[in-house]
Amino acid sequence: MMGDWQVYWLFLQQGIASGLVTGSIYALLAIAIVIIFKTTDAPNFAAGEIFMAGAYIALYLVIFSQIAYVIAVPVTLGVTFILSALFYRVVLRRIGVSPAVAVNVVIATLGLSFVLKGIVRNTGFGDVPRSFPAVFGADTIQIGDAVLTMQDVAVFALALLAMVIFFVFFNYTRTGRAMRAVGMNPRAAALVGIDLHRTRMLIWGLSGLLSALAAILIAPKILMTADMGIVVILGFAAAIVGGFTSLPGAVVGGLIIGIVENLVGLFVSTRAIVVAPFIVIMLVLAVRPQGLFGGPTVIKKV
Amino acid sequence: MTRASYIVVAVLAGGLLVLLPLLGSGYIVYLANLMLVYIVLALGLNILIGETGQFGLAHVAFYGIGIYTTAILTGRFDVPFLVAAAAGVLLAGSIGLLLGYVSFRMRDIYLALSTFAFGEAMQWVYRSWDAVTNGPNGMRIKPAELFGARIATDHDAYPFILTATIIIIAATVWLRGSRLGRAFRAVRESEPAALAMGVDVRRAKVIAFALSAAYAGAAGGMFATFSSFIHPDSLGFTETILVVTMIVVGGLGSISGAIVGALVLGAVQELLRQAPSYQEIIYGVILILFMMYLPKGLAGAVGNLARRAG
Amino acid sequence: MLRMKAFGLPGLIAGLALSTAAAAFPIKAGQGTYQDPGITDDKIKIGLFAPLSGPARAYGEDPLNAARMWYEMINEMGGIWGRKIELVIEDDRCAANDLVAAVKKLVEQDQVFMLNGGSCSAAAVAAQEYVLRSKIPYVMLNASGDGALYPPTDYIFGGISISQRAVGGIAVDFVVKHFKAKKIGYINHDDAYGAWNLETAQYMAKEHGVSLSVESINPNITDVTAPMLKIRAANPDVLVLTTYARPAALILKRAHELGFKGPIVLTVTGTANLKQLVENVGTKDAFANFYVQDVINDSPDGPKQRWIIDMYKKRYPDLAAKPDHPTPYMPYGVAAAQTVTHALMLAGPNPTRESVARILRTLTFESGVMAGLISFGENDRAGQESSIFLKFDGEKQVLQPGVYTSRWTYKP
Repeated sequence: MMGDWQVYWLFLQQGIASGLVTGSIYALLAIAIVIIFKTTDAPNFAAGEIFMAGAYIALYLVIFSQIAYVIAVPVTLGVTFILSALFYRVVLRRIGVSPAVAVNVVIATLGLSFVLKGIVRNTGFGDVPRSFPAVFGADTIQIGDAVLTMQDVAVFALALLAMVIFFVFFNYTRTGRAMRAVGMNPRAAALVGIDLHRTRMLIWGLSGLLSALAAILIAPKILMTADMGIVVILGFAAAIVGGFTSLPGAVVGGLIIGIVENLVGLFVSTRAIVVAPFIVIMLVLAVRPQGLFGGPTVIKKV
Repeated sequence: MTRASYIVVAVLAGGLLVLLPLLGSGYIVYLANLMLVYIVLALGLNILIGETGQFGLAHVAFYGIGIYTTAILTGRFDVPFLVAAAAGVLLAGSIGLLLGYVSFRMRDIYLALSTFAFGEAMQWVYRSWDAVTNGPNGMRIKPAELFGARIATDHDAYPFILTATIIIIAATVWLRGSRLGRAFRAVRESEPAALAMGVDVRRAKVIAFALSAAYAGAAGGMFATFSSFIHPDSLGFTETILVVTMIVVGGLGSISGAIVGALVLGAVQELLRQAPSYQEIIYGVILILFMMYLPKGLAGAVGNLARRAG
Repeated sequence: MLRMKAFGLPGLIAGLALSTAAAAFPIKAGQGTYQDPGITDDKIKIGLFAPLSGPARAYGEDPLNAARMWYEMINEMGGIWGRKIELVIEDDRCAANDLVAAVKKLVEQDQVFMLNGGSCSAAAVAAQEYVLRSKIPYVMLNASGDGALYPPTDYIFGGISISQRAVGGIAVDFVVKHFKAKKIGYINHDDAYGAWNLETAQYMAKEHGVSLSVESINPNITDVTAPMLKIRAANPDVLVLTTYARPAALILKRAHELGFKGPIVLTVTGTANLKQLVENVGTKDAFANFYVQDVINDSPDGPKQRWIIDMYKKRYPDLAAKPDHPTPYMPYGVAAAQTVTHALMLAGPNPTRESVARILRTLTFESGVMAGLISFGENDRAGQESSIFLKFDGEKQVLQPGVYTSRWTYKP
């Protein structure tokens, strides 16, 4: 039997290692949430269900249509991109983007979340927890005292890769810079000739794509059900911790939330795990609302 | 519509409401009781989100405070029902006041998220504080005794619920016309402008939080009158967002909108139970269509029609 | 108290033949002289409800189909005492307010004679006060129902699949007897079900003089690292899981990754779809020492279950063709419906709500479906309290010897 300090040291290592893995997924979700917020000024209440729908589209392709991963994954990302962009084009564009109608945007995204959930439940695949066939096998590697599977490592690496690609796109390509401009100052962006609606549509599509990617990566780890969208609250927590308008913040926030979840479970109580993200949200917003990396909070209303 | 036709409609509606227990089965009266509770919930949230423009998403947590306080005081300490319900309103209002203090500097998404987190944390408390709330088993509510009468059935409870709702509606109308009501609306329009006009913005926001929480606490007391059981699963974000949907679909900032929204969506919820397979999809489509074509809600649409007709 | 026994399927058929014959003779009360609603000379109305939408749909839909299938079969055989059963079906959404609305609609609007429904225990408790006040017999569908069964009432009967209190004690009993376990790792949920099964698990652990290391997790948990590390640190001989299917898969995977080699037992709460469980865990190696509990009388493809699977396939060919149908919980619906029809039959040609409730309170019968008898009695409103265990290696389920019956009794 291990001594108490040895056990705690093991807990710490494993908690951090596993926390980094799930945290990288929360980070992806946080990015998806933040880019929408930066440009449409309203929370996307369908974020969780788009995440969930992405997983089920992939599931349908891989399991039931027997399509190989290499094709199924890009197809899923593409389909989710198109559907999210379409939702903006058909519904949100009509509702408008001003703060006055923020509440309407919330209800509309809420409606979308119900529709997606209802559709998935009706296919009959949504009630039994499902997963994708294992890609990396069950081999494990040891980091110190902590144990991670190859799948875990792959998830972390792929999530990081996705984030790097995204950052390059967002900061160094023209479309990416246009998106940032729209987020920072829509009026100026319009004056410079950027098509606001088209850019916002692309951002919605991109957000959907990132959510679907996060879902595909995490599905084997948390298992898919029609209600798996509830995980997105951790993405929100991550975004808040990092600073709701900062993308690097979202990444750091995600990793922190993943680790905090585990450490709370290990050192406080298993029952407290589920409330920990809410406590974090309240504390951060009360004490340091701009999060770790956010600048001063911008007041958009006059 | 002319003044006379308004009065006729009001009298007819009033007559219908009073006669309801005679016309309807216990099921109908139960639904009516629930609708009246929804109306009070909607009116309360409308004060916060509609009138004052503060996007607070913890509403149902205060509803829970009202229900549990009433249930615990009457069940465990034999406190008279009205006193217990009043205690529920006070406790809810006080905690709402605190929440208002802590968050008055927050805006928009941050306010929404922090109040949302507070609501979720409260639900966790209801689920986990076994000693006080009986935790995940839920809590039985002792039948109420009001003015000497024992409230056993929905029929028994209805007159009291209806009276309470009417009083609350009247109070809300009065509030809207009062100086405080004007202060609320000034804060919603523009905080700097309100400050410039001499409105104590912080005080207005904090009071708005406290009042809306008190309304929710009162709704909880009403619920405890005709229900025998409360479970933490019924006190989550889904329920709060339902009330948000009611006031948005009804027409944000409008009292009649809140009432109509509560009735319409309450009815829709129950009717959709008859279509199990598709109810989520239908409900979602209804919400999306409303936001696309009736963004000012039903009250807004009626207002437009009236303007065009008159 | 006289225990009324009806002898399973053969007895049912004999009884039906008798009652149909008896129906030919005018011994019934006659039109207009019935005290209770929902009953006429040739019809009796039963309110049937379950979660037919939302996350709990999988727990309610198929058992409701099974109950309906049983009622239809009874009708085809001539009904009960010449009365055909008319069903009114409602969706209770597994939520307290909706279940109350469904029950009130059935009783007040549709005027049913008695109630049969509910797959969610917490929601079922919400209707308790109304059911008792209305003095209407209520037999749950496949809900464990503990919250409404203890303390026992005159009109509410449940646990026909199995009560959670039975589950906990049986699990401990099994691992002690089968594996001679001294230290048990016990993972349950922090919801009502978890509290109930833990109560009796602790009771039986004390009886046996073994120790229980408990971790209570939230059903929505995403990362089971924390509870699994803590359980491993306690070094148990055997692991008992009373979780739902999704967390169970996560735990099995983690246990395997962390190198746990001892036996793992999953109670019936989590056995919704074993094939999918294997896919979710990802490797059959994790099932080297894995056992599942079941509350039916045979392994799902065993001979004793044949008749009910065949009946389902015949009556619902489209459903049976769908993957994963019939679901493992389907048979419970039949046992629940049997409870209702047995009681109605024994109540004679002029049943009243009171006479049916009185019979239910001492009813005992062999369902031909469940692991043990369905029996109610003094202080006991939980119908079925036995289980079997099967070893599952990822492909086949092998029945283990012994039927385990809960030895916990309710003390008022």
